[in-house]
Amino acid sequence: MKRNIRKVAVLGAGVMGAQIAAHLANSNVDTVLFDLPAKEGDKSGIAKGAIAKMAKLKPAPFATSGLASRIKPANYDEHLEELRSCDLLIEAISERMDWKKDLYDKIEPYVADHAILATNTSGLGINELATVLNERLRERFLCLHFFNPPRYMHLVEVIPCNQTKPEVLEVLEPFFVSTLGKGLVVGKDTPNFIGNRIGIFSLLATMHHADELGIPLEVVDQITGKPLGRPKSGTYRTMDVVGLDTMKHAINTMDVNLKDDPWSQYYQTPAYIANMVEQGVLGQKTGKGIYAEKGKLVFSPATGDYVAADNKFDKDIAAMLSGPNWAENFLALKQSDHPQAQFIYRSLRDLFHYCLVTLEEIANCARDVDLAIRWGFGWAMGPFEIIQATGVRNVVNMLNEERTAGNLMADVELPAWVNDIDDIHNAEGSYSPSETAYIPLSSSPVYGRQALRENVVGSISNKPLGETVFETDAIRMWHQGDDVGILSFKTKMHTIGMGVIEGILQATEEAENNFSSLVVWHPSAPFSFGADLKEAMGFHQAGEFDKIGLMISQFQQATMALKHCYVPTVAAVQGMALGGGCEVQMHCDVTVAAQESYIGLVEAGIGLLPAASGSKEMATRAVGLAKGGDLMPHIQRAFQALAMAKVSASGLDAIKLGLMTDQDVVIGNAHELLHVAKAQAKALAAAGYRPVSRSQKVKVAGKPGKATLMMMAVNMLEGNFISEHDYLVADRIATVLTGGDVEEGSYVTNEWLLKLEVDAFVELLQTEKTQARIAHTLTTGKPLRN
Amino acid sequence: MTNQIQDAYIVKAVRTPVAKYKGAFKHVRPDDMLAHVLKGVVADHPEIANDVEDVVVGCAMPEAEQGMNVARIGVLLAGFPDNVPAVTINRFCSSGSQAVAMAADKIRLGEADVMIAAGTESMTMVPMMGNKISLNPNVFADDNVAIAYGMGITAEKVAERWNINREDQDAFAAESHNRAITATQNSWFTDEILPYEIVTSHPSADGLGVETKSRTMTDDEGPRPGSTPEVLAKLRTVFKARGSVTAGNSSQMSDGAGAVLLVSEAALKKYNLEPIGRFVTSAVAGVEPEVMGIGPKEAIPMCLKRAGMTQDQLDWIELNEAFAAQALAVCNELDLDKSKVNPNGGAIALGHPLGATGAIRTATLMNGLKRTGGKYGMVTMCIGTGMGFAMIVEAI
Repeated sequence: MKRNIRKVAVLGAGVMGAQIAAHLANSNVDTVLFDLPAKEGDKSGIAKGAIAKMAKLKPAPFATSGLASRIKPANYDEHLEELRSCDLLIEAISERMDWKKDLYDKIEPYVADHAILATNTSGLGINELATVLNERLRERFLCLHFFNPPRYMHLVEVIPCNQTKPEVLEVLEPFFVSTLGKGLVVGKDTPNFIGNRIGIFSLLATMHHADELGIPLEVVDQITGKPLGRPKSGTYRTMDVVGLDTMKHAINTMDVNLKDDPWSQYYQTPAYIANMVEQGVLGQKTGKGIYAEKGKLVFSPATGDYVAADNKFDKDIAAMLSGPNWAENFLALKQSDHPQAQFIYRSLRDLFHYCLVTLEEIANCARDVDLAIRWGFGWAMGPFEIIQATGVRNVVNMLNEERTAGNLMADVELPAWVNDIDDIHNAEGSYSPSETAYIPLSSSPVYGRQALRENVVGSISNKPLGETVFETDAIRMWHQGDDVGILSFKTKMHTIGMGVIEGILQATEEAENNFSSLVVWHPSAPFSFGADLKEAMGFHQAGEFDKIGLMISQFQQATMALKHCYVPTVAAVQGMALGGGCEVQMHCDVTVAAQESYIGLVEAGIGLLPAASGSKEMATRAVGLAKGGDLMPHIQRAFQALAMAKVSASGLDAIKLGLMTDQDVVIGNAHELLHVAKAQAKALAAAGYRPVSRSQKVKVAGKPGKATLMMMAVNMLEGNFISEHDYLVADRIATVLTGGDVEEGSYVTNEWLLKLEVDAFVELLQTEKTQARIAHTLTTGKPLRN
Repeated sequence: MTNQIQDAYIVKAVRTPVAKYKGAFKHVRPDDMLAHVLKGVVADHPEIANDVEDVVVGCAMPEAEQGMNVARIGVLLAGFPDNVPAVTINRFCSSGSQAVAMAADKIRLGEADVMIAAGTESMTMVPMMGNKISLNPNVFADDNVAIAYGMGITAEKVAERWNINREDQDAFAAESHNRAITATQNSWFTDEILPYEIVTSHPSADGLGVETKSRTMTDDEGPRPGSTPEVLAKLRTVFKARGSVTAGNSSQMSDGAGAVLLVSEAALKKYNLEPIGRFVTSAVAGVEPEVMGIGPKEAIPMCLKRAGMTQDQLDWIELNEAFAAQALAVCNELDLDKSKVNPNGGAIALGHPLGATGAIRTATLMNGLKRTGGKYGMVTMCIGTGMGFAMIVEAI
């Protein structure tokens, strides 16, 4: 079996197939997307159309524009030969056994001897599908179940058939984890596998108890969102987003395939939802579902009509959920008579019951259930982790009591193994009922690339990573026993105040003295939300404008220290890198960004400009990009990015916006950031790194350059696309980007550009409108247009 | 009447089909288009090419592919003898008609007997405002900020100042398409269009060779069937939030060229030529840059006065539709007879290759007057940074 997946064919250009192809293209994988030959015109028209349609799909399947050309559209009439050079084939056609069999028969002669054939089925049994396959292919056949949307959902369930050879997973695991950035969970050939089996049961139990206790649907969503550590769309809104028809289909799969299951009576779509589906009311895609009028109205099953969605989650009950101790929270909920408390208690209770009873049937160990629910449904903790946190004994005793009292949804005895263990997860691994042992994490070498591997509560070690060099309230500098220094921010959302600024200055000095290089990496996203606005506004309110100027100057010194440090610096970015966070990133010699990075110099949104050397850096970068030619196209792109506060849609997109450079690196899996960043740092150090001189002057576009930029701005102003204040901010950004009031082609010092930044920043901060914007953003988290 | 020594006669007026931006002429150079119409305009009397005293060519963005005095390059590429000189002139959108006026004036002054006026523009190859935009900083310092306004903003300002609503603009645009489609279907443009053979070479499908394709273009690419007011009403405004100007009620960006052969009475006799028209007069006026689209409102009366004519004497008016908003404002302000304005459709449907448009529409005007038996006709247009141009011809 070949070790590398060089080229992939996706068979079926439907919603899933096309988006899987798009994600392969995001990861720079050679991809061919097949569909049936079109009856008229270009025979690959169906695949072509599917690729074109994705340009408008939200959320965007492609990481940036222009990636569609990486996918080759194909059809089964003309391009089957193309399959011979594919190492992996992913079939994603409709869930019809006969259609799938026909397709497998058709492609079989063209599948290379080493190639892996995968199906993305979610409804058909994998062993049943294997029976229609030629003997030769069965040992290289398995299910790879992507979650929708495949670019964004971390989970891919792997379901081998009885004949699948272990080598198949050995080849796929590095490819899926490292190249595609996915989290793999190996499941069993049972209906709806792990994620949807548990996820949909949780949904059904939620709806069942909400119905019995008469909880309004919008309150259910408020409870089952953030308070329970789940996505804020909660239950019903999530169903609207996914599509009520899709939900009905998944519930139906349980109903059809799990007739003998003790909970089978609950595997039904509520009648009012089934009705909606029948009438074509399918949720977000049709503009109306359980919610209508953009969420202002919600369906009331009691009245059979839409009503104002204004019921609220009770604050006292919410408080019961906020304690640090799950066991105490759970007990408080149980003892409360409040219907909302009972609703939470009973929904969780039956979910725990279901998970404990079905675990052996559906998964190898409890961790697989937890990770599937975390990665596939966006829960902060999986159900077994919550059981673990509540205490296994507490949960078992409670369930036994409730069963005796006849309160459970199904009268099923807990499996015997629950009495043999005290923990679901422990340092050794996660409990497997079938093996009656704790199973460690996968030993695939690909996980050696992850500094901080995802794990579950109970198995996670509390030991800090590496050895500390120095630590403050704001930052920690540390190392892993080698000569690469690592700087991690400790602030909330990794915002940058004086503590972080001083930390950066101290860390660069430390790195120059005692390390070969410095990596800026944090254990979790975001990279940074930018400057600590509260701190800056505090100085402002106290009338200490000089302190603001000082803070900005210090921040500039910190970013400049990263750039001109005598050892190489590397930023490891994931999630948001906004404002000052982006400026820190830009001043490292190399940025290694996870594909899912959202980077932007967004200061204009709050009426400011990038003043921690970011505007200066954009002007400097334009000179490099122009390669001696016209500066203006690059200055214009920078101006647009800054004045419009653009945020990249991905790492690749940040390169396109000029916020990252062609020398920067984009990787698929955020867990590998430290590994790759350190490799980059070491490579730079090994090549005899010397920083660019701080006294090197910058060629600027000068006065005519600024006039040309302002021509764009004045048209936006006249067109009512921007406000007078936006125009003022744009003017100050244009001033710094073009080097101020000097002739075209002048060479200016870094210090001059930095001074222009500070002056403009302090000036804008003193305007009423900028202050109103900052205040608004601090309180609401949203931008204010004024 | 203006003082002149002799009359200038129009013998021939031809043009290329007009292609959409990045359309059929994507790889056709503006100097080649120019050579094509120059050859075509003397095709009936090849011997006259030797005696052309100057070739005046309008081009609005005369740089890069259409730089280097594109007029002279076009003349040489067309195979004219070395003694034929050429000059490129620029008055933005009226460059092509300004070329006609300047060529005519040279004859009327008695300084020439045979002149060619032309226009060429590839907006595909040279974008609006050229390849390098550089604005004078004093535009912002001295209250000349309207120089910085995009044409779309000026159209919005015209719409506001002269109360032209969105519905009327869309209806005007739809009518432009209607008329253009009718004219094309009835072959009313056939006599003025010189079909253009487009030869392109691209890497072959296997990536190992070159594949050369050729096709002949005979019709304008711009007119869109189905451009009804209802369809146009769905388009979003692009220049102004909650404005009224859309891509659908603005002129199309295009590529094309046109040429006009003008001679004196002496030359008519010498070469035994049949004139199709006589140049009467032209006028150009300045207006506020921020409402540049209103320019013809000043230029048209000035031109009529110079000709000693009244508006009702005009049978056919080619009023360049830079934007429906400005075309309507001009029509309303001067009370122009809309049935006589752009009877074959205008730039919203047919396209507006900037500096070529004046020469192209002169061909349409001469051809239209001939077909309908009209006597006097006009070509008029608005001009960026605030000007208007108008000229009158008499069909013979």
